[in-house]
Amino acid sequence: MGGDIDPLRSRLPVTLVTGFLGSGKTTLIGRLLRHPSMRRVAVIINEAGEIGIDHDIVAMSSEQVSLLANGCLCCTVRTDLQETLRALFGERRAGVIPDFDRVVIETSGLADPAPALQTLVTDSMLAAQYRPDGVVTLVDAVHGARQLVEQEEARKQVALADLLLVTKDDLAAPGQVVALREDLRELNAQAEVRQVRLGEIGPQELVGFGPGSARVEAGNARFLGALLRDGGPGPDAPDSPGYLGGHRPGRLHAGIRTASLRFDRPFSWPVFAEAMQAILHLRGQDVLRVKGIVDIDGGPVVVQGVQHILHPPLRLDRWPGADRGSRLVWITRGMDVAAIRGMFLATQALGAAGPR
Amino acid sequence: MSELQFAAPSSRADREMAHNMRLIAHHELAGFGGLGEGIAMQKTRDGRRVLWLAHESAPKNFTALDVTDPRAPKLIVQTELPHMKVRSNSLEISGDLMAVAYQVQAPGMKPAGFDLFDIGRPEAPRLISHFDCSGPHSRGVHALWFVDGQYVHLAGGAPDFQPHNPLDDQCYRIVDVRDPARPVECGRWWYPGTRVGDAEPQPARLPPAFDSGFRAHNTNVYPQRPDRAYVGYLDGGAFVLDIADPSDIRVVSSWNHSPPFNGFVHTVMPLFDRGLWVVSDECVQDDGKDWPKLVWMVDARDERNPVPIGTFPMPPVEVFGRRGGRYGAHNLHENLPAEVSFRSETLIAGTFFNAGVRVFDTSDPFAVREVAYYVPKAPPLSPAGAIQLNDLYVDDRRLVYTVDRFAGGLYVLEMNL
Repeated sequence: MGGDIDPLRSRLPVTLVTGFLGSGKTTLIGRLLRHPSMRRVAVIINEAGEIGIDHDIVAMSSEQVSLLANGCLCCTVRTDLQETLRALFGERRAGVIPDFDRVVIETSGLADPAPALQTLVTDSMLAAQYRPDGVVTLVDAVHGARQLVEQEEARKQVALADLLLVTKDDLAAPGQVVALREDLRELNAQAEVRQVRLGEIGPQELVGFGPGSARVEAGNARFLGALLRDGGPGPDAPDSPGYLGGHRPGRLHAGIRTASLRFDRPFSWPVFAEAMQAILHLRGQDVLRVKGIVDIDGGPVVVQGVQHILHPPLRLDRWPGADRGSRLVWITRGMDVAAIRGMFLATQALGAAGPR
Repeated sequence: MSELQFAAPSSRADREMAHNMRLIAHHELAGFGGLGEGIAMQKTRDGRRVLWLAHESAPKNFTALDVTDPRAPKLIVQTELPHMKVRSNSLEISGDLMAVAYQVQAPGMKPAGFDLFDIGRPEAPRLISHFDCSGPHSRGVHALWFVDGQYVHLAGGAPDFQPHNPLDDQCYRIVDVRDPARPVECGRWWYPGTRVGDAEPQPARLPPAFDSGFRAHNTNVYPQRPDRAYVGYLDGGAFVLDIADPSDIRVVSSWNHSPPFNGFVHTVMPLFDRGLWVVSDECVQDDGKDWPKLVWMVDARDERNPVPIGTFPMPPVEVFGRRGGRYGAHNLHENLPAEVSFRSETLIAGTFFNAGVRVFDTSDPFAVREVAYYVPKAPPLSPAGAIQLNDLYVDDRRLVYTVDRFAGGLYVLEMNL
């Protein structure tokens, strides 16, 4: 253990909870606020009235912040999320509000989560104190499939998710849940899909998606586990269409698909960055999400991005497993995966010949 | 920015505050929880870790705790001072030798100097020798540095040292302890013009409200530069001295922020790989009366021309200024060249009295970031009514040991960094 700071560990992890109207988000947040292990968690909600916080669970409160009996801080979002997050940190440092170790944000039902994720990375004041940990998206088993076809925001919420929670499966017709799970897999082959009823899920299930540390040992299991699973030693999986493939009519989700790419030769950082930049310049809007572990001159570097914004690259202290290949998972819209692959290979070939 | 105000009183001193630090143990030292600015860790020959702590004031001299298991510190020895008008305040160890400072309340009193102990058996420290600094104008030794087993560098008076102003009695002295039974002085430096008989004019003093004197405080010498002493000289500022020939000490450079600031430069800590000095002040007045007392980042790539480039961010004075007792900078963890000491060129930790212990990432020296803090709740019976964290030590396990000046004793903390 050296004398330097871990670039991620000291930043407060932020979980976004998204979900379309009627998906049970309010129920889930309401139950979360009452959960006994929510001590030192700040929850930012849109509208206190909807959640229905009973007076008997409130220990202290002001117009915008309540300290609940379980030690959870419940805050109503003010003019915008940036201002709310800045104020929360400032007031906590001044001792005005109690301490918190993580933040859960309930986004509005119609929101595209991408701007909120990008804000956490690009606002230098917020990026110094917070880090995006993950996106949890709720999908209604009854209406979800239709919303995914009709609503661009719903597709984005699914594509950007780290965990997909299918709600109200008890109200759905037989077969509906199976079909919905297929749709979700098609839009986002990365995220775990689980069924929950009445928001019954523990706070610990909603955290630990992002790389929380540059030290492989220090709590990266969930993030690295997903990469290891998806990038296994097999050949590239350029498309993951599910067992019915593209054959189900009416299920076209604007060409959104998940693809895994693998490269066995190490990159230099300039070569990798050039290829990435070219792709994001040309098609940033269609790169809904990219994440992976890349071999940069023999060392592992975690790369993550949402649309045209990349998180700062994170050099890990060691390889998390025996596999030292570069593995990148892409969730894209209408993009030719072979072309992405070709861009990296071509840049690598050109870069290897010239000065580095 | 609008406020998130609670109706309840804000920032109460009876409430703990924590960010990226977690309390794993608290020890009240058998009711004598007022500690000075001497903390050192010994790795004993049988593999234990023993933390040695100098008390802030009489009746106790020093206490040793076994912190091999940091979650369960065990008190193994606690010693008494000979009378109530002497304090130890500072200690350091090197191998199985420990040097303990003694400062008296008025010039002429004894014991004023330092003791050397053999701590090979930590349960039974054995006195080897006493180095006497007492004299008609001397209050003895306030702080000392002892890391190489050979030389004790200290801030102290001397029998033959007569200052113009009684506040200027403690100069920088080097004592050769290669024969621990017979310590002998081998070098001395003082601020020119402060000693009776100096050819130089007396230095201009700060206004009476802030005149703390021209005295040495921390006198650090590191193995990377055995020919340099990094000295905080209170109202005289920060000094780097060439000590290649201890009998002929010369000034390499100095830097002082006061005036217009309010004096009391305490520590000058070099970051050798980066050409930087971290300079800390000491807050010495309650209720924010001498605010701001800060930690400074100084560019010293050319040690002859130190240039201040920033200060460490501090929490709002509106919040802490009147929280009880002192609020401002004091001790830093000084990257001691010891096997069990944490050493970092970028992560710097310090104590700030009622604002607790705070850790900074200095990777960008122009924009130092606060990355962790722990502010204990006010210890019961503390006359300040708030915590007053005085000193700290960080070990190679990245555990932080910090002490209260009046009553709280020892706090052991984990960092999440």
